[in-house]
Amino acid sequence: MQLKNVIDSPCALRAMLDSLDLQSTMARRRLLEMEMLTDAHDIGRSYDTLRHFARFLATAHHTRVTTLQFKLQALKDIGTTLNNLDRHAVLDDIELFEVKHLALLAGDVNEILREHGLEQVVPVPSLDEVVTILDPDGLKIASFYIYDSYCGRLKELRAEMRRQPERNDELLLEASEIERTVRADLSKRLQSFAAALAQALTALAHIDIYLAKATQMTQLGLCFPTISRDGTSRFEGMFHPRVKAALEAGGRSFQPIDITYGLKPTLITGANMGGKTVVLKTLTLCQYLFQFGFGIPAASAAMDIKSHIFFCIGDEQSVEKGLSSFAAEMKNIDAVIKASRHERKLLALIDEPARTTNPTEGTALVAALLKVLAHASMSLILTTHYDIEPGEARCLRVKGFENGTMNYSLVEVHDGEVPHEALNIAQSLDIDPQWIALARDIVNSTTTKRNIHH
Amino acid sequence: MLPFIDDILKYDSLSIVGLEKNTGKTECLKYVLNRLPVDSRRIAVTSIGIDGETVDQVTRTQKPEITLPQGMYFATSEAHYKLRRLVSELVDVSDENTSLGRVVTARALTTGKVLLSGPPSAAGLKRWMGQMRRLGVDLTVVDGALSRMSSASPAVSRSMILATGAAFSPNVDTLVSKTAFVVQLINLPLAGENLRAAFDTLDRGTWWLDDEGALHRLSTTTSLAPSIKLDEMKGCRAIFVAGALVDSFVEKLQAGKVARDIEIVVRDFTKIFITPQRLRLLLKAGARLTVLQKSKLLAVTVNPTSPGGFTLDSAAVCHRLAETIGLPVYDLLKAS
Repeated sequence: MQLKNVIDSPCALRAMLDSLDLQSTMARRRLLEMEMLTDAHDIGRSYDTLRHFARFLATAHHTRVTTLQFKLQALKDIGTTLNNLDRHAVLDDIELFEVKHLALLAGDVNEILREHGLEQVVPVPSLDEVVTILDPDGLKIASFYIYDSYCGRLKELRAEMRRQPERNDELLLEASEIERTVRADLSKRLQSFAAALAQALTALAHIDIYLAKATQMTQLGLCFPTISRDGTSRFEGMFHPRVKAALEAGGRSFQPIDITYGLKPTLITGANMGGKTVVLKTLTLCQYLFQFGFGIPAASAAMDIKSHIFFCIGDEQSVEKGLSSFAAEMKNIDAVIKASRHERKLLALIDEPARTTNPTEGTALVAALLKVLAHASMSLILTTHYDIEPGEARCLRVKGFENGTMNYSLVEVHDGEVPHEALNIAQSLDIDPQWIALARDIVNSTTTKRNIHH
Repeated sequence: MLPFIDDILKYDSLSIVGLEKNTGKTECLKYVLNRLPVDSRRIAVTSIGIDGETVDQVTRTQKPEITLPQGMYFATSEAHYKLRRLVSELVDVSDENTSLGRVVTARALTTGKVLLSGPPSAAGLKRWMGQMRRLGVDLTVVDGALSRMSSASPAVSRSMILATGAAFSPNVDTLVSKTAFVVQLINLPLAGENLRAAFDTLDRGTWWLDDEGALHRLSTTTSLAPSIKLDEMKGCRAIFVAGALVDSFVEKLQAGKVARDIEIVVRDFTKIFITPQRLRLLLKAGARLTVLQKSKLLAVTVNPTSPGGFTLDSAAVCHRLAETIGLPVYDLLKAS
């Protein structure tokens, strides 16, 4: 699973990528092609490297940071050229320029890394010999042509061109033959550096990515997670960066959430507008960020590694494809059930399953879903407005309306009964009072009827 | 030397625009390039590439080869770089892709000929100009196409020279009035700072601003579409047309009484395809037509000879034109 396959997850992962201050388009492409990390060792190493860059940002003089960023802007993906070199083709002037450019860039970046003890963190191979080959006059300028110093005759011919422009074509013809031989010779001498060049290219892209991730951590107040080994994920002060920014732009603030979940199903109930969907979005976002090595939007996080992540939310795209919202949702949840039969380490976050159908069948579908997935040793978190018998599931409830304001924190409760706050909330929204009053009458009469029945 | 060479050096970018093929644009470019002080300034030249399928027919056969003086920087496509007939040093390989490969920039180390085919889009051209500034280039010169075939507008440059001539119209009166109209468009005033800020990032669609400063998209896909819902536009004070501004649209606005003292804004003069009559009526009604981007028109050059061999009286044309537009007009063949 590559980042580009999940980037448009409704958890707003793309916004996190877009807020990365990447210097080169190559780094962005490499990041999008990154495989999701599922191995504790890889994730650990990725965060260790990120820590080094975070320290660099915190301690280095800001001009060194901006110099490094400026240098990385010049990074170009010259993979095709390096392939040509690797298969012993003769490079043309443009390709030789690219190779020289990369070699000089690697040298410049290495110098900054060495100054800050980072040269072992993301090793960039030394390409000094490549520079020597392509810079015979030792000018250290990122430009290239078949220099006069490669061949005495070439120098003479060019001097002649300047003296006798009318003989230009004839002289150019002879010069181009010589240039051809020089190119062949240069390409041959560069062949043994193909692997080192490719390695440098990847290393420079990685440096760009780590630098951008470290910058983002400071900008958005993200934390380094620890890797949980007991199947539990714990978050303190978790927030959704995008929702937080939107609230703050409107003069409001995001109330951070504490939440823990393990391998038993978790049922989240609570009033409308209580932030249940935002909790699922944030948990999904955190899991992806964790497994692609980004900082985590929380005060602290200990996270379990998952092999697959499912986020099922009312899916507009399927609706556009012609499926009804109910059908689309059923198919999404079906995929979770199928995966749970042969995959371990799943994380499934399901927002109000079966909400578009009648409450009788809807409740049955949700209750049955909990039963079907209860023993799958996966992490299942679902939100609902239906009254569900929780069985083995843990129940969390949004605290809800307190003194006229919404308290978004989650508290553990021991039954699945849902709070009846919809009418109070609707009232606070200034909805037509006649409608709400009538609804209240109906609720009261059905409750009384039910009580008489009992 | 003609005075406008000194004027050019006051700006960091120049585009040379021909009103028609064979109006002497290439002559003008050659004239300018040969007279710019390559020894004391870093000067880079390119040509606006042409998009799409027309490249094979147009670019390979019709793009002129230009002789560059030693020391001048130039940008062209990879394919044309390989065909250069001079010695040059590569200084930049861009990510700008054309159907002839990427756009590369080099410095001429000997005098010789190259085919110029630069960035094909306005955004690409802007990026190239920025990159040249970073490389310490003092002046960029763009051989600008003025045609619907190219999405790159020469109006991204700070200054401009317009080439006109008998090929544009063999009749002196028509030539003068048609050229004067284009000059009028090039000299349209810039929109106010607020409008520029509101419209600058919109690259498609038609938009309007109400008197409270809120931006609305007009519910037609292009300004060419016949159905404009004028009754939606209560309190409209400015309209921005990202695409082509055409007669039928302006006519609708005027018929719907929207266009009385309204300001119509376009990206630059190359987006305007209305007739002189329509423009006159529009301005007479009290409306304003403004642009987000404009270049300082330095001079107009005239090629009095049409490709068919027909020649106008050069002195008379130059004089009439200069009188009408209030700008210096030169016949380059005479001047050189």
